[in-house]
Amino acid sequence: MALRDNAIVAYAEAKHVMRSGRDVWDYAGEILDALLERSGLERAEIDGVIFTPSATGAKTPMWSQSCLDYLGLETSFTDTTDLGGCSATGGVARAAAAIDAGYCETIVLINADTPSTEDNLIMRSFHHEWADPEGLLGPPGAFGLLSRRYDHLYGLDSRALGKMAVAQREHAVLNPNAVEKLRQPITVEDYLNSRMIADPLRLLDCVMMCDGGNGFVMMSKKRAKEKGYSRFVVPTGYGERTNYKLSENGLEPTESGHRVAGEKAFKQAGIGPRDVGSFHPYDDFLIAMMIQFEMLGFCKPGQGAAFIHETDLRFDGDLPLNTSGGQISAGQAGLAGGGTNLVEAVRQLFGEGDARQVKNIGNALVTGIGWIPYGRNWGSSTALVLTPDA
Amino acid sequence: MSKPANDTLSVPRDPIRHANFSIPFWEGTRDKKVMVQYCPRANQYQWFPRPVSLFTARRDLEWREVSGHGEIFSYTIANVGNGPFRGHEPYLIALVRLDEGVNIMANVIKCNLDEISIGMEVVPFWAPLADGTNLLMFQPAGA
Repeated sequence: MALRDNAIVAYAEAKHVMRSGRDVWDYAGEILDALLERSGLERAEIDGVIFTPSATGAKTPMWSQSCLDYLGLETSFTDTTDLGGCSATGGVARAAAAIDAGYCETIVLINADTPSTEDNLIMRSFHHEWADPEGLLGPPGAFGLLSRRYDHLYGLDSRALGKMAVAQREHAVLNPNAVEKLRQPITVEDYLNSRMIADPLRLLDCVMMCDGGNGFVMMSKKRAKEKGYSRFVVPTGYGERTNYKLSENGLEPTESGHRVAGEKAFKQAGIGPRDVGSFHPYDDFLIAMMIQFEMLGFCKPGQGAAFIHETDLRFDGDLPLNTSGGQISAGQAGLAGGGTNLVEAVRQLFGEGDARQVKNIGNALVTGIGWIPYGRNWGSSTALVLTPDA
Repeated sequence: MSKPANDTLSVPRDPIRHANFSIPFWEGTRDKKVMVQYCPRANQYQWFPRPVSLFTARRDLEWREVSGHGEIFSYTIANVGNGPFRGHEPYLIALVRLDEGVNIMANVIKCNLDEISIGMEVVPFWAPLADGTNLLMFQPAGA
C-alpha cells in the first residue's frame, strides 16, 4: 500500500461568508451532510475522521473529540492535523497513511473554521516575548520583512504581483462560493494603489478572514472501485517539510521548504513542473505564490516575476492559478483555509469547474504554507500532486 | 517620505513574560548588555533564546556578551499597528544582522523613513521598560 493506492471519492465546500454568525460546528455539520449526500455513504461506514484545527476552537485542546461529539460520529481513527495552512493537504497524506496501516477504511476530512465570527487564537510562541514588544503586525509584518529582502536580492516587481491578484479576482467572480464582497473585478492599478500595510506589503497583497468549510471522503482505491465510484482523484505525490534549514543563520527568508517538498512530490508522482495541469498554491500573500513558483522549479530564484509576466494564469490559460480565486480573493476560512485551494483542485479534476473549468485535468498541484516563524520564511511547506483515476 | 519614523518610546508596551531560559538576556538588558546564546559544539550563536541548541539539540549552551553592532538585514515600515501600537504609526521594524551572524527583530529609531536601507550599520538603543529591564532597539551608527 502506498499514497497512490488511496482515493478522494467526494468533496464538499460551504460558501465563504464574512462574519456569518454561525457556529463552527454548523459549518462542520454542513460539510458532513454534503459529503454523505455526494458519496452515497451511510454514517456507519465512516470509521475515520481527520480535522483541521480552528481559530474558533483554539482554546480547546481536545478538538477532535469535541467535534466528533457534536457530529455524532463513532470512529476507529481520529486526529487533528496541526500544521496551520498545511493542515488540509497534510490531512490527505495522513488519511492515506491511516488507511494503508489498516486503522480505518473510510475517512472523512472535515475542515471548518469561523474566525470572522469568533476568533480565539492566541499565539503561545515567540511572538509574546520577541515580536509583540516590537509591534510586529503578525503575518503581514513578517511578509513585509520578507518582501523587502526579496526586493533587495532580486527586485520586487509589483506589476507581476498585481497580475496574480487580477487573475485570482477574475476567478472569484466566477466562484459562487467566494466571499461576495470580493466578487468584483480589480485592475493592476487597483492593486498598486491599495494602501501600504507593512511597507512594501499592500492591503491587496493580503488575505481576509472569513467563515467557511470544506471536506473530503477518502478510502482505498480498491474499495472505491468495489463500491462502484465512477470518478475519483488519487494523491500521487506528496512532500512536506517543516523548519527548512532552521540551523542556518544565514538562510534567506526567500527560501522555503517547498524546494524539497516539491521535489519529493514531483518525483513520487512522476511529473515535473512543466507537466502541471493547474496550480493551486497556498496564498496568504501574493509574494508567497511568486516564491513558490521559484522553489517548486517553475523558474529559478529571482525569476518569479518574469515567469508570471510570460504565463497566462487564467483558468483557460497556460497554467491556471487558484481557479476559485484562492484565499486572497475567495476569503481565508481561518485554519480550514488550506482546504480552499485543495477542494478547488479536486473539483477541477472531477470536471465540475463549471464556468471556470480548466482544460488540462491530467493532474493538479496543491500546496500548503503553515505558520510564520521568526525572521525566516514559513514554518511548514507541503506539495500534493492529484491525478484523476490514476 | 523624509519624515522620521515614530520612535514608539511612548507606546505603553504590555509586560513581557520571560521564558526561564531567556532570563540571562533580560537580566543583561538591565546593564545595557546584549547577551546571546552560544553553542560551543557548533561554534555558532543563536537567536532568540531556546531550551536547546538549534545546531545540535543539546543543552550545553553558553551566554556571551556581544557588542550589539550590526547592519540592517531587512525592514518594514509599519503603517498599521495593533494593540498599544495603534496610533503610533509609522514606525520601523527591522531584522538586524549582528556581527555574530544572528538576526534580531527590533524597532529602529532616530531614523528617517527614507534613510533606512539594507546594509545600514546600526548600534543598540535601550528603551526602558516598567520592570527595570530595557527593550533592545537599534539606531543608525554615529547618530
